[in-house]
Amino acid sequence: MMDSRKPSSWANGALAVLRKDLQLELRNKSVLGTLIVFVLNTMFLILVSAGRGDLEPRTEAALLWVIIFFTAALGLGRAFLSEKEQKTRLFLRIHTQPLMVYFGKLCYSFLTILCANVVSACIFLLLLGVEVVLPGLFILTLILGTLGLAGATTLLAAIIARTTRSGILLPVLMFPLLIPLLLATVESTYFSFVGQSFTEGGWTASLGSLLTITSFSGVVVVASVLLFDYVWQD
Amino acid sequence: MPPKYKTIRLVIVIWMTLVLLGAFSFGGTWLNIPKVAMLEHTARNLYFHVPMWFTMMALTALSAVHAIQCLRTNSPVSDIRSRTAALIAVTFGMLGLATGSVWAHYTWYEGTNIWWNFDPKQTMAAVQVLIYCAYFALRSALDDPRKRARIAAVYNLFAFATVPFLLYVLPRQLESLHPGAEGNPAFSDITDPIMRVVFYPAVLGFIGVGWLLYTQRVRLARALMMLRSIEEDNHY
Repeated sequence: MMDSRKPSSWANGALAVLRKDLQLELRNKSVLGTLIVFVLNTMFLILVSAGRGDLEPRTEAALLWVIIFFTAALGLGRAFLSEKEQKTRLFLRIHTQPLMVYFGKLCYSFLTILCANVVSACIFLLLLGVEVVLPGLFILTLILGTLGLAGATTLLAAIIARTTRSGILLPVLMFPLLIPLLLATVESTYFSFVGQSFTEGGWTASLGSLLTITSFSGVVVVASVLLFDYVWQD
Repeated sequence: MPPKYKTIRLVIVIWMTLVLLGAFSFGGTWLNIPKVAMLEHTARNLYFHVPMWFTMMALTALSAVHAIQCLRTNSPVSDIRSRTAALIAVTFGMLGLATGSVWAHYTWYEGTNIWWNFDPKQTMAAVQVLIYCAYFALRSALDDPRKRARIAAVYNLFAFATVPFLLYVLPRQLESLHPGAEGNPAFSDITDPIMRVVFYPAVLGFIGVGWLLYTQRVRLARALMMLRSIEEDNHY
């Protein structure tokens, strides 16, 4: 913070990084467009192979989240690779604090994957004819799940940007870590589809899952903040 | 090799021999176990399966501790220790999975063709093994040793932070037949006291074997590192 060229507070710095990334994204629309085409393709595959309307709610919830996870694995790896490809990593390191970069990228990842997820969810519900009994719970799960995904994946994206075989590595690194998140989101989404469990309402039944998702997001963000320096610096 | 290390190694070897003798003592001997329906003599797997898990847990924690050390001091020896602990942990994890799967096949799923049924404990162990596989995949994708040490340590710790959630989430989602799970009696309620005579020494013995393998691999890796640096000195 001593250096006058550096932004005055980390919130300003993070916003600057986020603005830069969003501007680049809006300029060539590469990542988001490709992601949405990917989602459409995957949906089509599922629709063709699984048929319409004869899936269990549990299977539907699982399918939706598996699609979301794969979309995230494809899209979120880009966050730091783009700096490497455009050779702007050094520039960012000189002009910002590591935490500004982390939070900027976190917000960028969150927004990108949220857009893709909203599109996925809408197409999924429309094409498979799923009836959502508790829309509020569904939307909350989608947002919280996206937060957990972005939180866990931002640090991993920074890690894979430092490796040589970046393409295939992100899913391998991220899926085993995200299994708790996947299980909790699937359960909560399931309750939003069926509305209730045997004994209690959907909201009460999925309270544990929502709590798990929230605390998971909190823990991965805190762990990332503590560890990000070591990945970012040489 | 320091004489103290040799002594400890000898003690562990003799100790494990005694544990094995105890584990397989049949007939009218003191350590013969009572026959329980369904379990029969498969109960002896307790002496192997459970200590393997304990050893894996201990090595996982050790790996994380040395990952912290590696980030704090940048020392290549910490990296070797962290990596070796992970390797031995994954070995014990796979052994634990194998013994558990065989045990379940001949007791819980007797008469069926099931070997694997996504029991929470099984799933957790499998995830742990997958995480370490990812850890080694990550290591192989990094060329510079210093960078590899640091980034692998970061991944190690990041994974370690997410594991507690598995403990919390899995039992809510998946039903379990495993002892100690919800509604199932725990180890202490169902086990004949005579089994403890072998079980507790077996836990110590397996942790000893884990320690032995771990120190051996660390010494080997350090020796290789030193040899390489001598070669480089001669080269220039």
